[in-house]
Amino acid sequence: SRLAEGTPRRSIQLSNIVEQRVFKDDEIISTPKRGNKKKSTEDADADYSPRKSVQKTPTRPRRISASTKSTATPTHGTVAAAAAASAAPMTPSQKLKKIRSGELSPSMQQRSGKPVDDLLKSKLQLAREQLHVSVVPKSLPCREKEFENIYSFLEGKIQDQCGGCMYVSGVPGTGKTATVTGVIRTLQRLVAQDKLPGFDFLEINGMRLTEPRQAYVQIYKQLTGKTVSWEHAHTLLEKRFTTPAHRRVTTVLLVDELDILCNRRQDVVYNLLDWPTKSAARLVVVTIANTMDLPERLLMGKVTSRLGLTRLTFQPYTHKQLQEIVTARLGGSEAFKGEAVQLVARKVAAVSGDARRALDICRRATEIADTALDKCVTMLHVQQALGEMIASAKVQAIKNCSRLEQIFLQAVAAEVTRTGVEESTFMGVYTQVETIAAFMGVSLPPPGRALRLCAKLGAERLIISEHSRNDLFQKILLNVSTDDIHYALRVGEVGSVN
Amino acid sequence: EPEPAPSPPRNKYQNARRVLNSAETQNLPGREAQLLELREYFTSHLESQTSGSLYVSGQPGTGKTACLSLLLRDPEFSKRLQRVYINCTSIASVGAVYKKLCAELQLKPAGRTERDHLEAIQRHLRTAKRMLLLVLDEIDQLCTTRQAVLYTIFEWPALPGARILLVGIANSLDLTDRTLTRLNARCELKPRLMHFPSYTKQQIVEIFKSRLAEADVLDVFPPVTLQLLAAKVSAISGDVRRALDIGRRVVEIAEQQKRDGEREFNLKALELADGQEKEEPKQDTMKPVQVTQVAAVLNKVYGASQNLEEDIEAAFPLQQKLMLCSLVLMLRNERNKDISMGRLHEVYRRVCAKRNILALDQAEFTGTVDLVETRGILRIMRKKEPRLSKIMLQWDEEEVHAALSDKQLIASILNDTACLNR
Repeated sequence: SRLAEGTPRRSIQLSNIVEQRVFKDDEIISTPKRGNKKKSTEDADADYSPRKSVQKTPTRPRRISASTKSTATPTHGTVAAAAAASAAPMTPSQKLKKIRSGELSPSMQQRSGKPVDDLLKSKLQLAREQLHVSVVPKSLPCREKEFENIYSFLEGKIQDQCGGCMYVSGVPGTGKTATVTGVIRTLQRLVAQDKLPGFDFLEINGMRLTEPRQAYVQIYKQLTGKTVSWEHAHTLLEKRFTTPAHRRVTTVLLVDELDILCNRRQDVVYNLLDWPTKSAARLVVVTIANTMDLPERLLMGKVTSRLGLTRLTFQPYTHKQLQEIVTARLGGSEAFKGEAVQLVARKVAAVSGDARRALDICRRATEIADTALDKCVTMLHVQQALGEMIASAKVQAIKNCSRLEQIFLQAVAAEVTRTGVEESTFMGVYTQVETIAAFMGVSLPPPGRALRLCAKLGAERLIISEHSRNDLFQKILLNVSTDDIHYALRVGEVGSVN
Repeated sequence: EPEPAPSPPRNKYQNARRVLNSAETQNLPGREAQLLELREYFTSHLESQTSGSLYVSGQPGTGKTACLSLLLRDPEFSKRLQRVYINCTSIASVGAVYKKLCAELQLKPAGRTERDHLEAIQRHLRTAKRMLLLVLDEIDQLCTTRQAVLYTIFEWPALPGARILLVGIANSLDLTDRTLTRLNARCELKPRLMHFPSYTKQQIVEIFKSRLAEADVLDVFPPVTLQLLAAKVSAISGDVRRALDIGRRVVEIAEQQKRDGEREFNLKALELADGQEKEEPKQDTMKPVQVTQVAAVLNKVYGASQNLEEDIEAAFPLQQKLMLCSLVLMLRNERNKDISMGRLHEVYRRVCAKRNILALDQAEFTGTVDLVETRGILRIMRKKEPRLSKIMLQWDEEEVHAALSDKQLIASILNDTACLNR
């Protein structure tokens, strides 16, 4: 029963990746050798300075032999072997301890070459970089009202030194997270100028957690840098937020993807929203999710009551706003024709109003213009990009099917019109195949082969079929519309039949 | 206790905003009767030195936890009772509640299993010097299929020699009847029930008055606005968290409007004469909040579909409009209300073809329907295949019409029944 409660204990194996991230190439991991103990502590590297001069003896001898072997792996090569003598000795468990206590900061391998200079880039290339989704502008265009709203809420809470919650919702790509982090940055700037009392900023994202309770671990890690189990982290956080402390500063906690944190018990969401109601906590929680009516739809009554009524909805961008966003990204660059931007904005605003989508299509358009060796993105390029990204490849797929597959698809459609029911059995379809094949003068495939056709079409998702083990009685559903089939085959047939 | 405020002088709006916070407080107007009943219950059990259990229920935000934490802090009981408060959402699992209780009582269990902890608690209960007051908040979190833990806890008062006062707090009125039916078999085990009714209008007004009087900002809210706010909240939920929330929101909006007004005023003053010293802003025109401001906030909070209208009209994407219209068309004209994604897509394509608009393909269409679902207009019942998922309209047709605010399009599509039959 002890195992059943909470997260299963994982035995963490350090992969090669972690080692490469944590250590530079020449700092080789090796087990302590009693012979070079003193020497190793003298020239310890900058990242890691051991406190104790005497290395802890590994408790299990089996581990030693395993790790000695791993140090001699060919991945580290000769450099590693040469450096082995002078490197700081650490067993994997010591390394893990360092990582968990936050003493080793994870680092990525640097690339060997230098990045290209900005001056050497073409106009289109620069525009493409500016249009990348990850380049968040300093001030978001078309979100001034929402910015003001969140800003006054957070500023008020920080000045009042009391807790509270806010719920921000809106469909993806409408600038929710960017606006909130923008507000936080502005507030932090004010703190630096001593115009506002200081505050801590923590941030979790429901999608980055394997389990809702890992939220405690992440929050605690951002507070102290240490990684502990979720039970421990929860008790420590509870202690921090419920007991009054003298010099407590306000903490702003941003919870992204709130709906992922909701499980059946909803204990994590409850705790995250209950802590602000404690006067000792001084916690301000800003929650972000997509669904507008999430509190009413998914959360328990007591959690909704704690979430409060301070809510803000981000509406999808209109075409004018999308146009403004793209032109603001482009700056003064003339890589885009005005009407090209407008076409993108109108097409995207008609479907979703997602700014990411608009930026992605613009980037694709620059790529197309690049390959066409044009200096400027015109309407035609944008149209091609739109065709690619809002593509319907199904008609093409039906056209590219083999003759027998096309006959099979026609037969399914015919069976659907005959019976009037969307779902048909293989048997009925096969009878239709027989008829169509006789009509066209094509030789009829035996049912075994027809099953294979059916399985292939099912794998392509042109139809939805069951497993072929219930051969004649398996149910077949059309996954494309009948009009698509007729359209594809009527236009295509002209060439193929005659 | 409020700390000394930071450097800038705070106006009355800010003080009101701070004092209306929904954190715990010292005095609880509107809960005098309940406090008295609880106090009597505790003292009678203290005097007779008998155990007893109590189940406190009520809607969220009716002050259950506030009352009990007030009594837990009471110095009168602190001498005679050992008090333990456990919030059941903060335990790792249902069985771990014993461990938490051991930690709260500072017991030394023999082993590390659940049973050892339970035994340690029961030993303590038999031999304790002081009476124990155990408050279990959000006790519905302890419900399981067998209810072993809840039954064990509620049987402690009947343990020979035990002197424990057990209080369980939850939302549902009939938790003990529904999930702890076996306790009804023995009268001494049956917990005494106590319900916290939702706050009435007058009580909410009292709460506001006492809060505002605390910081001496009673004049920010004229009585009429308080009456309006309290009447609305008590009619809908009677949840004081909501009431305070709305009160705070009103102050925030009033403050923002005042700030905007000042900015305008300053701009005008600059335009008129920039040589003069500005003494006008200094007079601190503290306007009390208006009825219109309160009504606006209440409409925004409680009139869900009305305020959608104004937000949506500009920003409802065309394809989503077409999708919704097709759905309404199908619901209106077909007897079969069982609409799958595939069927809806077929109709939508025909509708688009008639309007000469490029229709989305099925993959995109599924995403579009998902986006509309986030507004709460639809609900999608997921099936194995996206084409088979069922789509259900959650709003009235009239609400959809109002939200789309595109009468011409709706009228033309709804008259177009030819799109339905193949």
